[in-house]
Amino acid sequence: MRQEYWTLMDPCCDYCLHSASNPCVKYVVCRVRGPFCHKSVMCRNRRQQRIKKVLYGPQGVRINVGASSCGLAAGAEKVLEAVKDNLRSMGVEAEASAVGYLGLCFMEPFIEIRSEDGPSPIYGHVSPDNVGEIFAKYFEEGSVDGAFEIRRRTGRFKDEDKVPLLDELDVWRKQVKWVSRNCGVINPESIEEYIVSGGYEGRSRALMMKPEEVIEEIRLSGLRGRGGAGFPTWLKWKVCREQPSKEKYIICNADEGDPGAFMNRLLAESDPHRVLEGLIIAGYAIGASHGVIFVRAEKPLMAARLEKAVEDARRWGLLGENILGTGFNFDVRVMRSAGAFVCGEETAMIAAIEGRRAMPRQRPPYPASKGLWDKPTVVNNVETLAHVATIMAHGWQEFAKYGTERSRGTKMFCVTGGVKRTGAFEVPIGTTIRTLVCDIAGGPHEGRKIKAVQIGGPSGGCLPERLFDLPIDYESLQEAGAIMGSGGLVVIDDSNCMVDVARYFTSFTLAESCGKCVPCRTGTKTLYDRLSAIVEGLGDPDDLRLLEEVGTMMKDAALCALGGTAPNPILSSLKYFKDEYEEHIVGKRCPAKVCSKLVTYNINRELCVKCGLCAKSCPANAIIKTDDGFFAVDQHKCIKCGTCFITCPRDAVEKR
Amino acid sequence: MKIKINGLEVEAKEGERILDVADRLGIRIPTLCYLRGIYEGASCRICVVELNNGKLIPACAYEVSDGLVLSTDTPRIRESRRLTLELLLSAHRISCQDCPKKGECALVELCSEYGVEGIPVCAECSLHEEDCFLGRGEICLGPITISGCKAECIRDGKPCEGCRGPVTRRDVLERGRAIYLEHGIPLEMFSRSSRSTAPPHANSI
Repeated sequence: MRQEYWTLMDPCCDYCLHSASNPCVKYVVCRVRGPFCHKSVMCRNRRQQRIKKVLYGPQGVRINVGASSCGLAAGAEKVLEAVKDNLRSMGVEAEASAVGYLGLCFMEPFIEIRSEDGPSPIYGHVSPDNVGEIFAKYFEEGSVDGAFEIRRRTGRFKDEDKVPLLDELDVWRKQVKWVSRNCGVINPESIEEYIVSGGYEGRSRALMMKPEEVIEEIRLSGLRGRGGAGFPTWLKWKVCREQPSKEKYIICNADEGDPGAFMNRLLAESDPHRVLEGLIIAGYAIGASHGVIFVRAEKPLMAARLEKAVEDARRWGLLGENILGTGFNFDVRVMRSAGAFVCGEETAMIAAIEGRRAMPRQRPPYPASKGLWDKPTVVNNVETLAHVATIMAHGWQEFAKYGTERSRGTKMFCVTGGVKRTGAFEVPIGTTIRTLVCDIAGGPHEGRKIKAVQIGGPSGGCLPERLFDLPIDYESLQEAGAIMGSGGLVVIDDSNCMVDVARYFTSFTLAESCGKCVPCRTGTKTLYDRLSAIVEGLGDPDDLRLLEEVGTMMKDAALCALGGTAPNPILSSLKYFKDEYEEHIVGKRCPAKVCSKLVTYNINRELCVKCGLCAKSCPANAIIKTDDGFFAVDQHKCIKCGTCFITCPRDAVEKR
Repeated sequence: MKIKINGLEVEAKEGERILDVADRLGIRIPTLCYLRGIYEGASCRICVVELNNGKLIPACAYEVSDGLVLSTDTPRIRESRRLTLELLLSAHRISCQDCPKKGECALVELCSEYGVEGIPVCAECSLHEEDCFLGRGEICLGPITISGCKAECIRDGKPCEGCRGPVTRRDVLERGRAIYLEHGIPLEMFSRSSRSTAPPHANSI
């Protein structure tokens, strides 16, 4: 029979009187630095030893495998199995543990060998086949060869000089790990590890303060909503707190749905307790007794981990009635959304929680005065709440050190698209786009040039390369025609067509529009139809005026932010890349050679070796043999599939 | 509390909507989807008014607050309403001739007020309860001509000559063609060779 482990959460001896029914205010701090209620060296040592075990495993070596959605998609589950098998077969005593992810998606799946006094190397692109090799080198030869980086140099291992230090890498050095500090470090399913890392201390501190003092602390920190609009968090709380209603609610908006944004998933999957802690603090500050975490159902792991976190917190008396003897009652429900993008809009989300169809309603009244069940409600984003927990634990001064005058702190950004290193990175607000895209994310792929970056997903706008020295903060992006949004950056290189990109984002909002208001319902359709005509070569010079007119009108008159920001990709690309639109409409050609209807294929006779592979592979039989043995494309039959272009062994097929 | 509409300072009650105040003052704000007590979802965005901070907001759903300053008729509002109507029409099955709302259609009225082209003269004609020339066997180009003329000629007893040009939408044209066939009017009449007085666009049917 397996022995039940004593964990840090359990009472250490009979003198410890804490239990969920007999709560103790200092419970959380006591776990890590205690015991406080009785003096016992033995109990103290027992706790300290347990902390060491949690950090580095019972044998002093712990192998972390990044097993969040993106790691799992890359095969982390099999890697974890392989790690366990290899440890067993090599007879190495070490603990294999699943952790969240570091945000370095480009090297998933990764493993980290953590030991108390070793260099703690991280290996990227691990497969079940090369785990054995890595372990053989590390445990038998004492070498860290092949690692992506090491956390520190100890001089005890071979090849330490060959591997860069983590803090020296551009991808890490320019980041500030403030809210994502635990991501990829702790096991997200263990409340114990979170507490060892200093978790729930901010909440303990908040519960000792008056709610007004908590709001004041957040005000001083200068935290603004990380969901996109950048509304000051403290103000929302204050308005809600001052409402006379007895019943109030706090909702955590975990309905992240922008294409190219996954920082909320990263946070909630890798450090769910931090989000929960922030939710409890917010609930305390506004005087709510119920919280709802609204999770996108397409992110099942995120929902499952948040559910587990809530369950654990409830089990140890960190949620429920009379939390830790402070007289504060608070409980949380995790709710899965049906998966419409518009659910991320706060009034639509409230409708969905109430069991109605998710459609936004006109604001004001704002949810802070009339929200869920017509009671005052605060809706905060996952990242905002995680920031709240971190600010309460470390003080507002630490947070306010980063960022700009008007926007304090750090923000997580997801960089995807045409860059070398995709992933989620946390940087101080005010960092330039160039630093984020070129330094941290490594710049464009070989032979490519970055043309623009789409900031803020389908609600954001694109900014051309020449504006890359713009600091990323709420105001300067808005002035340039983009929005910070939730923080997704899609890098567009010269192999992408701006019109096609705008059309893609419009097709997204078209599909996700709830259909309630006219500007969004028919506006997105009109915009999409016009853009489709343009990419198919059926555009009319008048279309540009129409796009601009309808786009501006939607911005003004749409009911919610989805419709109001839907034309942003078009308006911003019209502003910065009008020449590409004109080239499509007037010149009937696509400069990036993406829009298939505007591309023609021709065979260059100087390069052609008459092999005939193109004619064989053509699905439309559009390539014919000419009398002199060469091949030519029949433009009337050609369906522009590009098969000949890919097939030709001599690159004789030219795309124009 | 006091609010200012179109430069006019008025007293308003707590919880009143802008539309209520404007109604009391006799300022007309057009509405389409709003039905007091039944539907107040602010969907159609026809009733937008402009606040002094430059925001366009729907008058039917926006509650007044002290010191609110707004105007109900500016170029920006007119432009927004016009485009909203155009968008509405773009997804509307225009079949005014046999629509149950014929003769009392707020959409048609607004379209002619805001100069939105796309609906045929027949729609405006029925607002004035005019007899149909086609029913009497007279040739009238109403079904295929763009409206906006307030059907002036017809009110003078003359059939439509189509001076404003043909409707651009194919579905409306086809509907017009069907109407001529229903009334037993052969389409050949419209070909230029057979009737030289017909306007050039008559060929389009």
